[in-house]
Amino acid sequence: MPKCKINGKEVDVPQGTTIIEAFKASGQEIAHYCWHPGLSVAGVCRLCMVQIEGQPKLQIACNTEVKEGMVINNNSETVKDTVRWGLDFHLINHPLDCPICDQAGECGLQEQYMQFGKYDPEMAEHKVKKCKVVDLGPTVVLDSERCILCSRCVRFTDEVSKTHELGIFERGDRSEIGTFDGKPLNNKYSLNTVDICPVGALTSKDFRFRQRVWYLKEHNTICTGCSTGCNVKVYYNEEGCWRVKPRYNPDINGYWMCDEGRDIYKFINKKNRLQEITMTEKGVSKVFQAEELLPQLGLELKNAVQKNPESVALILTGQYSCEEYQSLLNLMVKSWGLKNVFHWVNHPESMEQFDGLLLRGDKNPNTKGLLNELDLLSLTQTWKDLEEKLHRNLIKHLIVAGPENLATFSDVKEKLKLFSSANKLIWLSAGIFEGVSSVCSQVVQIPTKTFFEKEGSYINHKGMKQRVTPGVEIVKSALSLCEFVEGLHHDNKGAHFQDMDSALVDTKLKEPLKENFFTATRGSL
Amino acid sequence: MEVKLLTEHYHRPEYRKLSGYKLYGGYQVLAKALQMEPKTIIEEVKASGLRGRGGAGFPTGMKWGFLPSNHEPRYLLCNADEGEPGTFKDRLMMEKAPHQLIEGMIISAYAIGSQKSYIYVRGEYFDSIRILREALAEAYKAGLLGKKILGSNFSHDMDVYSGAGAYICGEETGMISSLEGLKGQPKLKPPFPALQGYLKKPTIVNNVETLAAVVPIVRDGAKVYRQNGTEKSPGTKLFSVSGNVVRPGNYEVPLGLPLKELIFGICGGLKPGRKLKAVIPGGSSAPVLTAEEALRAHLDYESLAQMGTMLGSGAVIVIDDSHCMVDLLGVIAHFYHHESCGQCTPCREGTGWIDKILHSILSGQGRLQDIHLLERVSEHMMGKTICALSDAAAMPVLSFVNKFREEFEFYVREGRSKVRGVSHAQM
Amino acid sequence: MSVVKNPGSASKWYLPGITIGLVSTFSTMIKNLFGRNKMITLNYPEEKYEYGPRFKGNHILTVKKDGSLRCTACMLCATNCPAQCIKIHAAEHNDPTVEKYPISYEIDILRCVFCGYCEEACPVDAIRMGPEWQTPALSGSNFTYDIRYLAYRPNLKGGIQSRLDDEERHKVGI
Repeated sequence: MPKCKINGKEVDVPQGTTIIEAFKASGQEIAHYCWHPGLSVAGVCRLCMVQIEGQPKLQIACNTEVKEGMVINNNSETVKDTVRWGLDFHLINHPLDCPICDQAGECGLQEQYMQFGKYDPEMAEHKVKKCKVVDLGPTVVLDSERCILCSRCVRFTDEVSKTHELGIFERGDRSEIGTFDGKPLNNKYSLNTVDICPVGALTSKDFRFRQRVWYLKEHNTICTGCSTGCNVKVYYNEEGCWRVKPRYNPDINGYWMCDEGRDIYKFINKKNRLQEITMTEKGVSKVFQAEELLPQLGLELKNAVQKNPESVALILTGQYSCEEYQSLLNLMVKSWGLKNVFHWVNHPESMEQFDGLLLRGDKNPNTKGLLNELDLLSLTQTWKDLEEKLHRNLIKHLIVAGPENLATFSDVKEKLKLFSSANKLIWLSAGIFEGVSSVCSQVVQIPTKTFFEKEGSYINHKGMKQRVTPGVEIVKSALSLCEFVEGLHHDNKGAHFQDMDSALVDTKLKEPLKENFFTATRGSL
Repeated sequence: MEVKLLTEHYHRPEYRKLSGYKLYGGYQVLAKALQMEPKTIIEEVKASGLRGRGGAGFPTGMKWGFLPSNHEPRYLLCNADEGEPGTFKDRLMMEKAPHQLIEGMIISAYAIGSQKSYIYVRGEYFDSIRILREALAEAYKAGLLGKKILGSNFSHDMDVYSGAGAYICGEETGMISSLEGLKGQPKLKPPFPALQGYLKKPTIVNNVETLAAVVPIVRDGAKVYRQNGTEKSPGTKLFSVSGNVVRPGNYEVPLGLPLKELIFGICGGLKPGRKLKAVIPGGSSAPVLTAEEALRAHLDYESLAQMGTMLGSGAVIVIDDSHCMVDLLGVIAHFYHHESCGQCTPCREGTGWIDKILHSILSGQGRLQDIHLLERVSEHMMGKTICALSDAAAMPVLSFVNKFREEFEFYVREGRSKVRGVSHAQM
Repeated sequence: MSVVKNPGSASKWYLPGITIGLVSTFSTMIKNLFGRNKMITLNYPEEKYEYGPRFKGNHILTVKKDGSLRCTACMLCATNCPAQCIKIHAAEHNDPTVEKYPISYEIDILRCVFCGYCEEACPVDAIRMGPEWQTPALSGSNFTYDIRYLAYRPNLKGGIQSRLDDEERHKVGI
């Protein structure tokens, strides 16, 4: 454990720590672009210069290991002057088109220039002109002029995604990031390059020009796109959700997330959501309020179960939180005595797949949580049993806690065809699927809350339990399963949310390393 | 006076063939070296005080001593990527005496225990590459390379690798990147090549002249080698003299020779009627010397360092009073702008900036503050990057501007050269 | 401007007060009868008062030489707007030198406080405040000005050209 002194402060760091990590650990500020904790050291931006006592030249903090007794500072005039000039070198060929740059507001160059900059540009010559709009692939656009050649994106494709699509072409100040002919940037993690780009050179086609970042608020949550459960931030404003970015969690996703997961903001937006509780009978739909419909529905179901337990079936998908499963099963199985509980697996053939980095074939956030709950109650019926029972017309009432994210369910249509032998379908889902209302003679559609609107916990493939908190209300009449249960069963209040706590491993949502200053303080203007 | 330690037989055309080389004692030193302990050879080289002839002047024996003492595979690379403007000594050595280099390399490889070596020749040296390849084929045929050299237990393979013409590949880590098949860009140090170089294995990179000089050291012993040169810079060195002298060319002289003697004695002085204005003593990256300084200078590492310049690769560029220093700096700045690899920001942007400022001065649009700006940009490029290219670009700028400021100011004020009379824009 | 004149002591009394008042009334009437062009009041709405060109009235979006919008959809005006009355939707332009442009630009003029901050925030002289100030309408929706109104309303005669030209800026290396 070497001890060193950073700007007069004693810091104790593990063996092999670089100076820049020691700076970060001790909470002191140091300018840098090319260094990224998740990538190898490139040492090319030359901004993290520090003065080490006893060494004549300034050293870069990212490639120098802390040795016992080092006395380091970065607040001497020499270092400050070097950083000021370093930033100026970055800026002399930078186009300064911040007003039309998507990164403005969360740009490393802006932030660090305000903090460490020279404020006195002396460049009077023409800037180097490069290509402004370079199509790198299906997801990413490059603006070569804005690029400061920190090589983070190149190192990402070399070291993390291991796809090697990007490279730096040409030499000197004519250098440009580019792809090889016929090999566009097209991998499942390509949008991480946009996240790690410290300037607005790489922009996501999906988010490009849609919003200015200072209009967005961020909410920490987890990605429900697959069973990895990456920690993410969802950016939203009053018009809806706009993008998803990863948050650092060393146990789950590190610094990265996949491109698929970045699409989860789409299904939680209002226009893709089921809006009202409706009951369709013989082709006539009627909108209900939860308070009027649910108690009546609860009574009906309860009577049906108690009369003949075989006539009611509950189908669950792995898309809901542990608390929701608990309250639903508590009511229906424990107190009513329901036996028919089935697990709807959306991709049975690819459930166990894993691409080696983050992406898993199980496209549900909480399969593990669901299986745990089913095990606890020894509910072991398989999908085959359901099919058989439906064919034999045993089941009259079907309650389906269906897909939250319809994009991951490719089999809804055939499943609905199967359900059509029941008399009454209670369809709980967040999204709109055409034709649900005409499946059975009586269909009740209930909009559910998505992970972004409710509190609950999800258990990922590793068995780690992660809690999410509600961000913002998107659909007013949407219910979580807990609220649905509460509505069905009015005399049993209180048995949900807070008091249902975990017996499993609990990891708290980690705080992000650095809050986005602008969205954190300014919010929506 | 010239001392022909390496270049003794260079005038003989047969010397470039194996048979001719053997006539004058070729490969006898190798046979002797293979009888010695590798450690003894390293000690001998250390004792000789041989310093790297590529530019930095780092003691060769000490460099060899940095290798880890395990049995990992290690590489010897010969740096024949002679890119420094003004230098043309390695080319002469490779074309006149390829076997001398090969013999030196086999001895060095034996000393450091390397099984494989590469000669990295700059891409434009077509002849050198061809001649070296022929010489290698001859050496393999004669059993001087390959398995069990000359009946000893030592095996060694050697290859010639052609660069693609980048100046930066003359930097040792840049050269290693290029050899590895990557873009020729210097690597971060640490780790140093002696510990992690080519293919992440211990690697020694030496200049052509350094490796060739191992031959006379092993042949005659360190003591004899030290008879030439000074205490701290022993031995002889090839100097490539170019510019406004009567007899430009390569000359092997002992280190410590007065620069005056090289220019006015050996090279025959300047053309009649011309006056010495400046001398760049070590290739374009070395700070320039004024005429007065040049007449005092001695050609060894220490005394030139004392004068604020460096011996570099031994490219002496003599400039007489018919040349405009602004023009010259413009050419040098353009060269470094073109050759910067673009990795580190200060160098990538700084070399371009300097080039652009000089261009606007040369086209008559300079401002007086540009001269000060040139200095400030150069100062902030010095020592801030991975390799020394940004220093190499900044040092001439600083020295030219400092020592010939009135020429620059004249150019800016009048929009024309003090020497030529007209500006680029008018030409 | 309201000027309070100190009435003389005579006007404290009833008859002198009335007389002074009537003198003022009739003298103005006679002046107006014989010098109609010097009359201060206007017969609005038949007659309208033209303000100076620097008056901060209704917004104008400027255009480029080719008649397309100058606006780059940077949203600095919307950000700077204290009344939050500007709504912009940006999109990618087909021409790579233009890059970003607004597909919709709406100003809710009823919320606008005519402070002129949008004009000041604009980095490319794309929005100006013009001398128009009287734009009554019958329906509420007419008070949300869109691009067609802001840039190409008939009295702008094909649009006001911006001072800043991208091509010239590129030429000088900005």
